[in-house]
Amino acid sequence: MIASRRFRWSTVVLSVLAGIWLYPVVWTLTNAVRSSADIYRAPWDVPWPPAIGNIGEAWSRGQLGVAMANSAFVTAMTVVVVLALAIPGAYALTRLRPPARAVLFLLVLAPLIIPTEVLIVPTFSIFRALGLINSLPGLSLTDAVASVSFSTVILAGYFRTIPQDVVDAARVDGAGRLDVLLRIVIPLARPGILAVALLVAVFTWNDFGGALVLLQKPEVFTAQLALTRFSTLYATDQGLTFAGMAIVILPPLLLFLVLQRSFIQGLTAGVVRR
Amino acid sequence: MFASTGYRQLKVKVSLNLGAGENEYGSTGQIPLASCDRLAFLRRSRRESATDLLFLIPTLAILAGFLLVPLVYGVVLSLHDTDGFAITTFVGLDHYAHAILGDAVFHRSLLNTLVFTAAAVVLQTGLGLLLAVLLADVSRGKAFFTFVFFAPFVLAPVAVGAVWKFLYAPYFGIAATVGSALGFDTLTIAPLADADVALWAVMAAFLWRFVGFTMVVYMAAMQGLRREYYEYAVLEGAGRFHQFRRITWPLLWPQTFVLVLLTTLGTLRIFDMVWVMTAGGPSHATETVATDIYVTAFRFLQVGYAQAMAMILLVVILLLTIVEYRILDRRAEAVTE
Repeated sequence: MIASRRFRWSTVVLSVLAGIWLYPVVWTLTNAVRSSADIYRAPWDVPWPPAIGNIGEAWSRGQLGVAMANSAFVTAMTVVVVLALAIPGAYALTRLRPPARAVLFLLVLAPLIIPTEVLIVPTFSIFRALGLINSLPGLSLTDAVASVSFSTVILAGYFRTIPQDVVDAARVDGAGRLDVLLRIVIPLARPGILAVALLVAVFTWNDFGGALVLLQKPEVFTAQLALTRFSTLYATDQGLTFAGMAIVILPPLLLFLVLQRSFIQGLTAGVVRR
Repeated sequence: MFASTGYRQLKVKVSLNLGAGENEYGSTGQIPLASCDRLAFLRRSRRESATDLLFLIPTLAILAGFLLVPLVYGVVLSLHDTDGFAITTFVGLDHYAHAILGDAVFHRSLLNTLVFTAAAVVLQTGLGLLLAVLLADVSRGKAFFTFVFFAPFVLAPVAVGAVWKFLYAPYFGIAATVGSALGFDTLTIAPLADADVALWAVMAAFLWRFVGFTMVVYMAAMQGLRREYYEYAVLEGAGRFHQFRRITWPLLWPQTFVLVLLTTLGTLRIFDMVWVMTAGGPSHATETVATDIYVTAFRFLQVGYAQAMAMILLVVILLLTIVEYRILDRRAEAVTE
């Protein structure tokens, strides 16, 4: 009782820091509904009545509708590809023994140590030869390569928590390996799979470097590219630019707000072993 | 579909391979079965492993196609002159020699990248740990604080870069807004245009985005630390600082180890936030190797040369990873002893 009411320095320090951390987001969201003149003149006033017009104008002038649809397509395809590769891969990893486990290290380390940026030039050359420039599925494949390793490792961690007894019992009853994967491992590891899907979705939605190089026609621009182009074109109309930023920021932020626990669990599962 | 015959024998093998410690219901009655025919057991286990590997083949294939092939082609590119993106004449190691010996911009970008990475490792780890320790101490509002500090991590780097670029803008950025609210004349302060501070201004935005990740990892690990250690320490009269130094810090070393490696790998490649905030400017003050590669390849079309810089970056990444791994691993052993 007494302890919980005690004045705590940690709460004070955290509150101050939280204020600093919140400021850029609140500033962006409020500026999104301020007129450009008010951004200079009245930065501390509550933006009332809100300049809702900013949002609609940013949406149409920045062609954000098309861009968000492109991003949604790339994100969905990447998540599906990554899960289709990582689930069976992780299942195999949980069963491999020392000599074959070297594969694990190969899987984990290779894409971490060889980042996209190092291979972007040859990847562009190869994609151009294959006619994959301006192709959303093409971009999706590079995004999948960037995510498949950590997904496999995190999923393997989840799969290991499934009691071997359950698997053994199913096999005694005549279930094949694929049956075990589809009917036992996947249903039991559903939270882990959801967490991994979330991580991959957010990383893919936010990807910029790959899209910048591989997509060059405005029709196929992802939300990130559209935002960059938009904020250069309308740099002098701050209200509009902030509205554009708010639109692109919101989907992952809302997704995260709803699924925070699952997201953090997935992320820390890869680093913290208990 | 797989292994459609002989479930019972397979099961014998499975439970044996798990080892006695991992399999609770023991293997009595199964060991003799297997030891009667050791060779058959070995053969079967090899076939089993082969089937397991089958599940990994799609992943390995896609990694080979999108990682190995570009890597090999990248080496070839870096040894040639190019016309547009087409290879023309073989120049051997000339590009490498020029990058290492004669390219002041590349030197600057490499130095910037290394300084930025070193600062990111120290500050991100330190601040994240500080936040985690502070959060362990509060009882109310924990979920709120976690959300506030971690949310920037899910925001797009392009959007974060653009927001911070505006925060640093003169006339309506944070300096102008807060400064004038406090009565100072700070309207024209523009950190991103100042070559001396631009890199650190980018660093602040970078920390704002990533500290939450470090914090969340430490928080998860601290939940696993045993209360008894702290209770005992309190009985022995240890203060807060000593509890942290003697218990929390050493026990969190495995996480620090992983976080330092991850931050290093993630920061050496930094491109997106820098590109959006400064595009490497002013006068290369925030140029990183990745922005240098991008400009050289896609603006100046010196493709072979750009790839030589990329290969040098790859070597730097490999060397730093190995060095850090060695140092941190030795420390980890010392802690566990």
